[in-house]
Amino acid sequence: MLVPARIYATPTVLQSMDSGVFDQVTNVACLPGIQRYALCMPDGHWGYGFPIGGVAAFDVREGIISPGGVGYDVNCGMRLIRTDLTLVDVQPRLERLMTELFRRVPAGVGAGGSVKLTRGDLNAVMAEGARWCVEQGYGWHRDLARIEEGGRITGADPSAVSDQAVSRGINQLGTLGSGNHYLEVQVASNDRIFDSTTGAALGITGHDQIVIMVHCGSRGFGHQVASDYLKVFAKAMRRYGISVKDQQLACAPFRSPEGQEYFTAMNCAANTAFANRQVITHHVREAFSAVFGPSAEELGMELVYDVAHNIAKVERYPEGDLLVHRKGATRAFGPGSMALSPEFRTTGQPVICGGSMETGSYLLVGTDQAVSDTFGSTMHGSGRTMSRAQAKKQVRGEQLQQQMKQRGILVKAVSMSGLAEEAGFAYKNISDVVETVERAGITKKVAELRPIGNIKG
Amino acid sequence: MASSFRFLEDIALADIAFEAEGDSPEDLFRGATQALIETMADPLTVSNSWTRHITKTDEELEALLFDWLSEMVYWKDAAGVVFHAAPLTLKWTQGEWTLCGTLAGAAVNHQVQELRNDVKGITKHLYRVEETGTHWRATVVVDV
Repeated sequence: MLVPARIYATPTVLQSMDSGVFDQVTNVACLPGIQRYALCMPDGHWGYGFPIGGVAAFDVREGIISPGGVGYDVNCGMRLIRTDLTLVDVQPRLERLMTELFRRVPAGVGAGGSVKLTRGDLNAVMAEGARWCVEQGYGWHRDLARIEEGGRITGADPSAVSDQAVSRGINQLGTLGSGNHYLEVQVASNDRIFDSTTGAALGITGHDQIVIMVHCGSRGFGHQVASDYLKVFAKAMRRYGISVKDQQLACAPFRSPEGQEYFTAMNCAANTAFANRQVITHHVREAFSAVFGPSAEELGMELVYDVAHNIAKVERYPEGDLLVHRKGATRAFGPGSMALSPEFRTTGQPVICGGSMETGSYLLVGTDQAVSDTFGSTMHGSGRTMSRAQAKKQVRGEQLQQQMKQRGILVKAVSMSGLAEEAGFAYKNISDVVETVERAGITKKVAELRPIGNIKG
Repeated sequence: MASSFRFLEDIALADIAFEAEGDSPEDLFRGATQALIETMADPLTVSNSWTRHITKTDEELEALLFDWLSEMVYWKDAAGVVFHAAPLTLKWTQGEWTLCGTLAGAAVNHQVQELRNDVKGITKHLYRVEETGTHWRATVVVDV
């Protein structure tokens, strides 16, 4: 190991982690150019190459870049939208609202989006991200200030992306996908707001306020980019004399031609994911307006924030410029960070953490301590503890859907078996995970958000 | 047993793994192909309105299976389809394996098809193809 491994966990959380986490974070600590620590957040579990929840920073001159440290679903991330509606307003029309959302936001295997793109359009999406969407009428200009990097990462060159990735991605803009991706209608109650000043500054005012959370990424496009460059890197490693303990850790020097090409292709996928969530937001606003009458602006449907949790970015730390890989980990810059939009320089950067569809999710904010301790990183969700096959043995999708309805959570799902795989008991208790990062001082709790409606692929 | 497959429970916590077996390399490919088809949808609910003929060659059986399964995932997204069947032949000639397969299926329609997992890719995690003496076996982990 070139550096120590550091896992953030309480004894309870540590016990619930699978053994793969320990092997994988050890492997990461052996990669060339790694700085300080190989980190794993408390929602960590086994992943491909890096563990999910893994954070590792590499010197940009001597270090590597690895698709296994970003994740296949490049810029998989979270978005939170606020409203002025309350539970009393929404409850009587919840069934109609969920039907409308399910109709307007395609989900599940092979679902195509409503936005028809030419190859030229997709190139513009790769380069401009959410900005392209806003220019085309999918959203509001002020949304951009509330997206990490303004919804557009610079240095995205479409020529580094394969035709296969383009073919897979060209029909998927504005789609959720499946697996653990979802669109959720949630409630912010007064008794679950932990910091009302910060909450109010971010637009979360409580009083059974309705909010919408979106979890998805770059879909087949990002996966193809990762697969393409894993092949390239498998060959390149021999040339650069790099050996790794797991094929999924394939990497190349960041400054090498292969490393730079992957970085620019990954940025294309990241921008596509920002655009994907932007188009979904547009359809969510349309659905709310169709069901409740007033326009989305009149309903106060402002973006709270949009943040990536599968990405690699160059950031400046005392060591110099570092390439920070976050895989199933969220950037968590504190109020002091000049990288944040002015909106967040008093609150710190919003961090959106999704729990299982049966429990709650959290809105947190980053801290300056995160910047000094964890390369400005924190958790991203609750993390699985049970395989999909095991979960399906314990409950059927239809049965789970009925049980959740009885508890006041309306679920619309394309796949009933997929729904069973996402049952709450297959995940860690998100509150345990959140307590860990709060006690460690790398994030602060703002509000817990309780689900009342969920769209699954 | 000509070909068979079973899903593995404890290999990929957040994803899906399967083990395919066959009496021959060709049967092994059939087993793995069927496993991937059934990961994405119940083939009995998918019609045959879309087909694509595919030929692939490789010196390495392991690389060829990976490539073939990846191609199925590609067409699922590129054409927006799920599969009913994928009959194939596999032959060893002139120092390389040649696979001729036909993907048969239909455009995704959740009103009539039982859709399962949106497979995003085939991974190299624990991936292997081996001859056990009496038959052939492959272990595959797919990202969903």
